[in-house]
Amino acid sequence: MELLLAIGIGVLTTAGVFLLLRERTFSVLLGLTLLSYAVNLFVFATGGLRVGAPPLLSGHVAPPYADPLAQALVLTAIVISFAMTAFMVVLAIAARHRLGDDRVDPPGEQVE
Amino acid sequence: MCVAAMGVVFVHRARFAALILLAVVGLTVTLVFAYYSAPDLALTQIAVEAVTILLLLLALYYLPQDAPPERAVNRALRDFFLGCLAGGGVGWLTWAMLTRPLDSISSYFIAYSLQQGGGANVVNVLLVDFRGYDTYGEITVIVVAALGVAAMLAGVKLPQRATDDSGRPWSLETSHLPLDLLVRLLLPLALLVSAYLFLRGHNAPGGGFVAGLVTAVAVALLYVGAGLAWTRERLKLSFRAVAAAGLLIAGLTGLAAMAGFDRPFLTSAHGHLTWPVIGEIPLASAMMFDLGVYLTVVGATLLVLTRLGDPVVVPAQGV
Repeated sequence: MELLLAIGIGVLTTAGVFLLLRERTFSVLLGLTLLSYAVNLFVFATGGLRVGAPPLLSGHVAPPYADPLAQALVLTAIVISFAMTAFMVVLAIAARHRLGDDRVDPPGEQVE
Repeated sequence: MCVAAMGVVFVHRARFAALILLAVVGLTVTLVFAYYSAPDLALTQIAVEAVTILLLLLALYYLPQDAPPERAVNRALRDFFLGCLAGGGVGWLTWAMLTRPLDSISSYFIAYSLQQGGGANVVNVLLVDFRGYDTYGEITVIVVAALGVAAMLAGVKLPQRATDDSGRPWSLETSHLPLDLLVRLLLPLALLVSAYLFLRGHNAPGGGFVAGLVTAVAVALLYVGAGLAWTRERLKLSFRAVAAAGLLIAGLTGLAAMAGFDRPFLTSAHGHLTWPVIGEIPLASAMMFDLGVYLTVVGATLLVLTRLGDPVVVPAQGV
């Protein structure tokens, strides 16, 4: 399972970086979202993977628990990345509205 | 998940299909969290997923729906190479990390969560107590991002389109009857669920973030189902004020620890309160902090969504 998760994170990162380098803003947004999934999963994985051991001290679950620190970090990261995405979306819309185009590169610098 | 992620790359020019595949990836991530014993994360991820997709759909309304093919093959090859390099590196790093023995500092938090934080859900106690500063900074970031969105859209009159890219007219009917009825029925239930999640957050999966997101999703659904005009008439609430109030409550909770009890900023106190019907509710000052988080998330999320989805509001009153 560790290998599977590692491959999954790798593929997400590959797709995210590829889309991040496209020349249209919406693709960049998609890439950013994929990349944030990959990063969240990576930080989550730093706590180790445990099945059926949520960190709730209510007596139903026996220790060892899954790592709560990594989970708390990722929880804030999820909400922050939503705020990030919202900001980028509006940046893209405002840029398209003011420049009349949704390219990321300035018109003179396009790679042929 | 891999298939869907690669699918997003292949169809990223047909933007609507790419968005649906993106949602598939997000839901798979939710399943991964749920499987590897992180119920809090799964709840948060699924709520954020709903809001993100709604947001990107709104973005599609203002951006072109299909991208022209890119001409430069060299560039695509180069980007693909870079992507593989990054993905391979990160994947290898993850695998290396997961196969090594793990020594974490979190046993400290597990040992002291009940004693010092007064809660059984260690993740939530970490958020509102041990790492309260961090969470305070985070909700500040959310408010700043939402205000940034409002500021960027302030001078812009977004173009309303009469037809889509292939010339079919947009339906201007704002309310959708079956959804409308369903949503009106659902709203009180959703609010109840969010209150439940909020109250039990300290001891079981839930908490301010998730509860805030559930409320935001419910209200957003109200806008979609019942129509913009209907909701605008009945919901005379400044989301900006809600977010600010949340930040203020969180900050004041922290200051109260300093002023009243002579402790460092954001130290939490806790006790148990017995309510007549419901039974014993553990009451921690962290609850007030969590309430601040809740209000901030609701206010900021809805501020962003209504700014984009309800352009009529923008010039008139400035929500």
